[in-house]
Amino acid sequence: MTQSGPSLSATEEPINLYASSRPRLRGRSGTIASAISTTVVIALLVILIASPSAKPFREGFLNPHQMWLAFAGDPMKGILSVGKGFLLNIWLSLICEVLVLVFALAIATLRLTSGPVLLPFRGIAIAYTDFARGVPVILVMLWIGFGVPAMNIPVISTQSPVVYAGFVLTFSYSAYVAEVYRAGMLSVPRAQVQAARSIGLSSRTTLRRVVLPQAVRNVLPALLNDFASLQKDTAIVSVLGVTEATHAAQIAAGVEFNYSGYTIASLLFLAVTVPLTRYTDRIMAKDRNRRLAGGL
Amino acid sequence: MSKELGSTILKADRVHKSFGDLEVLRGISLDLAAHQVTCLIGSSGSGKSTFLRCCNLLERIDGGTIELLNHDLADEQIDENAVRRHVGMVFQSYNLFPHLSVLDNVTLGPRRVLKQSKSEAEAHATELLARIGLDAKANEFPDRLSGGQQQRVAIARSLAMNPRLLLLDEVTSALDPELVGEVLDLIGDLAAQGMTMLIATHEMGFARQVADTICYLEDGLIVEQGSPAQVLDNPSHASTQRFLNRSMD
Ligand SMILES: Nc1ncnc2c1ncn2[C@@H]1O[C@H](COP(=O)(O)OP(=O)(O)O)[C@@H](O)[C@H]1O
Ligand SMILES: [Mg+2]
Repeated sequence: MTQSGPSLSATEEPINLYASSRPRLRGRSGTIASAISTTVVIALLVILIASPSAKPFREGFLNPHQMWLAFAGDPMKGILSVGKGFLLNIWLSLICEVLVLVFALAIATLRLTSGPVLLPFRGIAIAYTDFARGVPVILVMLWIGFGVPAMNIPVISTQSPVVYAGFVLTFSYSAYVAEVYRAGMLSVPRAQVQAARSIGLSSRTTLRRVVLPQAVRNVLPALLNDFASLQKDTAIVSVLGVTEATHAAQIAAGVEFNYSGYTIASLLFLAVTVPLTRYTDRIMAKDRNRRLAGGL
Repeated sequence: MSKELGSTILKADRVHKSFGDLEVLRGISLDLAAHQVTCLIGSSGSGKSTFLRCCNLLERIDGGTIELLNHDLADEQIDENAVRRHVGMVFQSYNLFPHLSVLDNVTLGPRRVLKQSKSEAEAHATELLARIGLDAKANEFPDRLSGGQQQRVAIARSLAMNPRLLLLDEVTSALDPELVGEVLDLIGDLAAQGMTMLIATHEMGFARQVADTICYLEDGLIVEQGSPAQVLDNPSHASTQRFLNRSMD
């Protein structure tokens, strides 16, 4: 490099590019370091749980015999199966999720319309969202689950508690999911709508083929998050005396004075929600990469 | 430049349009015959986009009339979707649908609006893409394409509807300079094939080549209109001359 004209580097002072703290361990030594730290942490946890003074904890929460008893149930002792109960949590959440997806979409679409005829319905939709998001699910569950049967209305008052439970979960979660949908639809640029309308698509087809696919893609992580919550909140159904995992575990705990049934119920919930949240994280990471790569 | 012009496609008569207190179009009158290419020039804010958007009912006018193929667009019986079926529009920012492949972008209208079968729509779309030299990109998503390629696909998307009139709103303004040519070439081809077009543009050289008529807009009025030679070389209004001088540098 030839030096001509005014020098760009004003001083000749040496510069330091090294980090002031110790450099981070990388590669092989990094792997070894993380293996050691993981082993130490696990060992500490095992020692903690296995220590003599943790015996009440082990007995009360982690007793394998009690866990199995609660999981399988024992009709002789009046203990209901947590495992069987959990099947109800699963299918109830699946049915509710489908209903929520449909109902929430209707609410969100209604809130985004602008026709004067629909004005009162928009008002109702707003009031509904405020209410359903503002009142604890368990309160609505008690209210509907015990209140409606007490009203002695033909057909409506004679449904099984599971039906009320499904109704309440759908009612409460649709409000959250409607807001997620709405945020998603608002995130689609207006220019997309204009382009779609400009090739003659009706507003309905535009919503269906152009806005919704992009909206859902934008809010998929949030939707999956709400589904993990919904899956967990099926436990609230137990307040209506429906035999699902939590209720069964509660019975086992009452009969045996042991809480390992709650542990097994928790593990069952985790078996569903952890993969779901991991999957959500992966989608979010992929989405971030796509954005960073310069895509839309 | 002389070519056979056909029957009247678009007839705008003293069109007015306001946004709140701001009167953006203040009496625009303009006729467009089949196969005619008219370029709208004028500084930004003069109302070019607004006028184009009134022609496919993305905006409603407040006064005057616009007739499309002898139908008054202000008529209550008019179905805006039917209007847009026959009037294509291409935007500055392409606005391709990012969740659809190039092929699906082009077939969406024919399938959902013209109710063509999938195979019929795809055959036509493939043909169109071949014509613009992008058949190899049919299965790519828009974000894998250059701006110029995206804009050409956007034009193909409009053409797939077999429009009677094509509205082009500064379709090269968002492009890197080296990509402008391929898009202008395509529009030139369309003009040569007899497509009726109303084009808002800043590209004076292109306007001179492709236009039968040039309209110079200022503050929502057509100050001057005529052949490219008249308007660009011998403008009769001082303001046109000032605008042309400004756009030279
Ligand atoms: N939707 C709108 N609301 C309010 N003002 C608008 C709207 N669209 C355009 N305008 C205004 O109308 C004028 C003309 O705009 P436009 O038609 O986009 O001009 P051009 O395309 O010639 O640059 C500008 O002053 C612009 O700010
Ligand atoms: Mg404009």
